[in-house]
Amino acid sequence: MLIGRRIWQQRPRTWSWRWSSGGTLMRLHSYRTSPQKPPILGFLSSDGAATIRTANNSFVDFSIPYMINKCSYTTHALADLSPSGIVDVPLAQTGEGIAECELLQWFVKEGDQVEEFQPLCEVQSDKATIEITSRYKGKVAQILYVPGNIVKVGETLLKMDVEGSIVSTLSSSDLESIKPPALETTELPGSELNKNTKGGTLSTPAVRNLAKLYGVELNDVHGSGKDGRVLKEDVLKYAVQKGIVEVPAVSVDSRAPLFGDEENGQYASAEVKWQPDDKTVPLRGFQRTMVKTMSMAAKVPHFHYVEEMNCDALVELKASFQNNNSDPNVKHTFLPILIKSLSMALSKYPFMNSCFNEESVEVILKGSHNIGIAMATSHGLAVPNIKNVQSLSILEITKELSRLQRLAKENKLSPVDIYGGTITLSNIGAIGGKFGSPLLNLPEVAIIAMGRIQKAAHFAEDGDVYPVSTMTVNIGADHRVLDGATVARFCNEWKQFIENPEFLMLHMR
Amino acid sequence: MSDVRRFQTAPFSMLVLMMKQQAGKLGLPLMNLLRLNGTPILQQLHLEEKLLRTSSDNWCIINDGTDTPAIVMGVSGKPSELLEVGPVLRDRIPVIRRFTGGGTVIVDSGTVFITLICNKDAVPGMQPYPRSIMSWSGLLYNEVFRGIGDFKLRENDYVFGERKFGGNAQSITKNRWIHHTSFLWDYAVGNMAYLKQPARAPKYRLGRDHTEFICRMKEYLPRSVFIEKTVESIESYFSVNPTNSEAIDASQGAEFVHSTMLLTRQELEEASASQLKTIGVSSV
Repeated sequence: MLIGRRIWQQRPRTWSWRWSSGGTLMRLHSYRTSPQKPPILGFLSSDGAATIRTANNSFVDFSIPYMINKCSYTTHALADLSPSGIVDVPLAQTGEGIAECELLQWFVKEGDQVEEFQPLCEVQSDKATIEITSRYKGKVAQILYVPGNIVKVGETLLKMDVEGSIVSTLSSSDLESIKPPALETTELPGSELNKNTKGGTLSTPAVRNLAKLYGVELNDVHGSGKDGRVLKEDVLKYAVQKGIVEVPAVSVDSRAPLFGDEENGQYASAEVKWQPDDKTVPLRGFQRTMVKTMSMAAKVPHFHYVEEMNCDALVELKASFQNNNSDPNVKHTFLPILIKSLSMALSKYPFMNSCFNEESVEVILKGSHNIGIAMATSHGLAVPNIKNVQSLSILEITKELSRLQRLAKENKLSPVDIYGGTITLSNIGAIGGKFGSPLLNLPEVAIIAMGRIQKAAHFAEDGDVYPVSTMTVNIGADHRVLDGATVARFCNEWKQFIENPEFLMLHMR
Repeated sequence: MSDVRRFQTAPFSMLVLMMKQQAGKLGLPLMNLLRLNGTPILQQLHLEEKLLRTSSDNWCIINDGTDTPAIVMGVSGKPSELLEVGPVLRDRIPVIRRFTGGGTVIVDSGTVFITLICNKDAVPGMQPYPRSIMSWSGLLYNEVFRGIGDFKLRENDYVFGERKFGGNAQSITKNRWIHHTSFLWDYAVGNMAYLKQPARAPKYRLGRDHTEFICRMKEYLPRSVFIEKTVESIESYFSVNPTNSEAIDASQGAEFVHSTMLLTRQELEEASASQLKTIGVSSV
């Protein structure tokens, strides 16, 4: 489009079809009735002869063969004005790749005097209805299509008599103020554009909404309820009389109460045509959320994979970070390093970072590593996630983790922090225990519980005993999506990074 | 910036992003934000058309679900071609023909409507043509769904992967445009049975029926998050000014004849008759 604009601006002045006052993109040549005239300029895709289709035989049938060339120029200007002053006004380009439009309605008729920029007609292309304004000042000589016709881009829509009119230049054009187009009156019975001032008509909001839907003026409806209250049945009866709808034998559709948040209990209970929505519980109800999520999680076939990690290198690394830390606001722990190395492993095993759609039996491999961290707060279990770990450094992860922990403690986590997680880490070891057997945080397919880092006795080759910091991890996985081999290989990859954190540098950019 | 490459109009979106940064320095245009909840779709469409044609402000209207199910066709929609008219008549589903183009939807409380009504030069660098507006809206929502799903603007639809969750329609007038979207936060499978497989469908649909073609947004993010993030995304182009319906009623005094219509029972019966004539056997 940018390129197109440049071409347009370089073109010499010709008759052109102005799309909007500022836009110079849509210039096309108008062509006259003589066939030798130059091609249509622009991004058109159609070519060949254009026969103007007519809706009925009262229009003259033209055959105007022409070739359409992309991006050709013409120097024909006003000199080409035919002696009669009649110009063909074509349907201009309405967007890249759109070859035809449906004519919806005319705002003018033959014989009407038309000003520059006055809306001429409305067309529909694909998803858009578009008002076409006049480039010229003149009189409508002949209309060539009727509403409902399909018009190819470039075909003549109407002919205008511009005899004596000077086509104004861009700089001299002034915008007219917006005027509503002269539409055919399609008012609903009892047009409700007047704001409903009931002036004493008693009715519930539900009944008022129903009346609006059917375009019924409540003041016109006889109320059969207490104190002359207008009931739903009254509205329906009135609508029947007006021929809008019939009263069904049983009660009509009404909205099923939503989420329990709605207070509109006035809707008459009726046949419900759709499934009630799941209740979305606001953040305050951690406990309540857990009941729901854990029940669902229990239905998923889990398997668990346990591994022991040698954390000596991890302990050393954390100590190094902490000793050289000059920022008092930052406290280095094991978790950010574990999180980053987890992300590294996920890059190689994307199925571990996915979501399962039961209905469509599809696995969505998530692009972002939004790693959730289970946090025990005084209000219950919260699992906020750190977004896009693959793009974050360990320091950034540390800061973000700290931010989330602070918010969780104050019970100020936002919905955006909580949702969108792709895998969860549960650092249950921070509280205690060797390892846990975690349940999935749906719709994720994997969750990792990490036990406490403890000193354990290992045996060397020569039989000597030496201490090793070890951490046991338990990976819970959705067996509908993941198998033991995938999880085992993934865990090995992660283990490599934990036990040899220098390997992270291999992937450093 | 990698998301920018996703769009075919990459140079345009680069320009828009540059313009955004500049606009921040100069001050953003004002946009009134009207949040509705359970407003009937007919009422919403009337309001939108009125604001498009008689207001000179920029508007964002968010209607969080409509009260009763209704079928909404595009401006040139023909019920005999688009609907299973028999069931529609039998179940008294209201059928509305709106003032913008595009296809047919069945809307209910699980539909979230987001409408943008703007002056043609409100978004710097964006031309008021269907494709430009569509692409810009794709950029807007790309921010909303970043990291949440495999969001794309596919032809004229918003999709996660291959499945549509948002449909668009537009109307462009001399100096303004409207781009409105119905988002499938949730839907009832039974309701889809009122709609025929449309003759005109996007290529990527590949002949799939409704349940295979669409998806529910609620499986990706909650409603409140979606709406919050949309407002945030809009705030990078506009200075958002929350307003309410009372304020609109007070300022827009002019009488206005709208073109969005509720189809009468008679029209539907005629459509049903012509539908039965064309097909010997009813099909679902």
